[in-house]
Amino acid sequence: MPKFLMLFRRAPENTPTKPPSPEAMQQMMATWNAWLDKFKKSGNLLDPGDALKPTGKVVKSGGVVTDGPFAESKEVIGGFSIIQADTYDEAVAIALESPGGQAPGALIEVREFAGWV
Amino acid sequence: MTETLVEHFFRREYGRLVALLTRRLGVARLELVEDAVQSALVHAMQAWPRAGTPADPAGWLYRAAKNAATDTLRRDAAFADKRPEFAAPTATADERPDDHLIGDEQLRMLFTCCHPELPDESRLALALKVVCGFGVDEIARALLTATANVQKRLTRAKDKLAEMGFNADEVPDADLPARRESVHSVLYLLFNEGYHSSAEADLIRRDLCAEAIRLAELLATHPTLGSPASEALLALMRMHAARFDARQSAAGELLVLAEQDRFRWDREMIRTAFFWLERSARGDELSRYHLEAAILAEHCRAETFAETDWDRIISLYNLLCEREPHWLHALNRAVAVAERHGPAAGLAALDAIAPGGDIRYSHWHAARGELLLRSGVSSAARIAFTAARDLAATAAERAFLNGRMARCEVV
Repeated sequence: MPKFLMLFRRAPENTPTKPPSPEAMQQMMATWNAWLDKFKKSGNLLDPGDALKPTGKVVKSGGVVTDGPFAESKEVIGGFSIIQADTYDEAVAIALESPGGQAPGALIEVREFAGWV
Repeated sequence: MTETLVEHFFRREYGRLVALLTRRLGVARLELVEDAVQSALVHAMQAWPRAGTPADPAGWLYRAAKNAATDTLRRDAAFADKRPEFAAPTATADERPDDHLIGDEQLRMLFTCCHPELPDESRLALALKVVCGFGVDEIARALLTATANVQKRLTRAKDKLAEMGFNADEVPDADLPARRESVHSVLYLLFNEGYHSSAEADLIRRDLCAEAIRLAELLATHPTLGSPASEALLALMRMHAARFDARQSAAGELLVLAEQDRFRWDREMIRTAFFWLERSARGDELSRYHLEAAILAEHCRAETFAETDWDRIISLYNLLCEREPHWLHALNRAVAVAERHGPAAGLAALDAIAPGGDIRYSHWHAARGELLLRSGVSSAARIAFTAARDLAATAAERAFLNGRMARCEVV
């Protein structure tokens, strides 16, 4: 079955400056729980993945190392998960249900594994 | 497999952790502490769905928050010299908050929120934020004010606390009675915001009442910080809360005392309220909370509306009006007078509060409309209900008053 990488992206300029309230965070966590549970049970979720720290390093050709995040891209990758699905449509349907794409300024990139390894 | 957390777990832990860490780091570091607790919650929100909820979620959050605070402090060398005991390294693997201390620390935080240096209007907002764990938007919604307004009140309070230094959370013995008084009024305000504004669609209001009762109970059971007045306040809140469900019909309309189904009053809640009211009678302190609770106790005692002991209620209102002159007490007294001596006597008492009807409170006009309707002067009653409706704060109250206006036409 084809595998897909889900990249949870966020545009920092579009995220609210005020932190969410504890109550709102607990609700958000509950929706993540529900999504992960549902697709773990269905067998679609291969790896729940992890969150990524907001900054990192960029290694460029010629041995140039700089600090990320990366000036070229407006969005920061906040986390990832790996799923399997029969078709792209099914993968997209799973992404549509994910809370990772529902916050203001958030989007999910869905990429199919090439399957070469 | 993930397990479900108890309701409001994050909100409750926020308040607990802010109190605990502020105690160790000093009130001047409140902002830093709040950031640390916030980051622990963000961390949990991202980690727990994937890794599973830890066996001891409260301990997990405590360690994460403490470590986040320590990280920030490490970058602040000046701080280590002032509070060497907190130069301690990161939390040990099984370190967890001391549950015995938490009640004390939360009360201490509440007393800090009522510090005389803080502006009055900041105290409640600050308590909601740092003791109860509400977010800025939630506070704005609960207090029916703008988010920017709440933000302003919080900023002012925190700036003030930051100026005051590490020991601002100590309450000197000499200051205790005055500070406790201020804590009582903040708790009563918190309760009333939840109880009387009756925006029924908004569950947050019920949460306000629950928080007020929880904190009043912490105070009433504390060996040194509480007083008999704290116990009377707790009794008062519980007697009100016992009627929470009975105040609304199945259709969501407000019901006045005479219309309420007394079988729907929460008897267990009333029983504990009486326990606290009896306890509060020791000593010779007679606070407004004692009197208000005693009045409510009369209503709770009466099995039917007709059996209410209005003479006793009027005499209690007389005492209350003498002690705490306030139009709302005088208004309630007038209503009791009307029940005992008829609508004409009640109207005379009402008019004595605001001669010429020059008062911008919906409740006063509503009470007047009620008594005029009972006296059979329906045209005047209609005018009074209209004035009340135009001043009413919530949709439920407006709907209630529209219903009353409709009755004026039928009569």
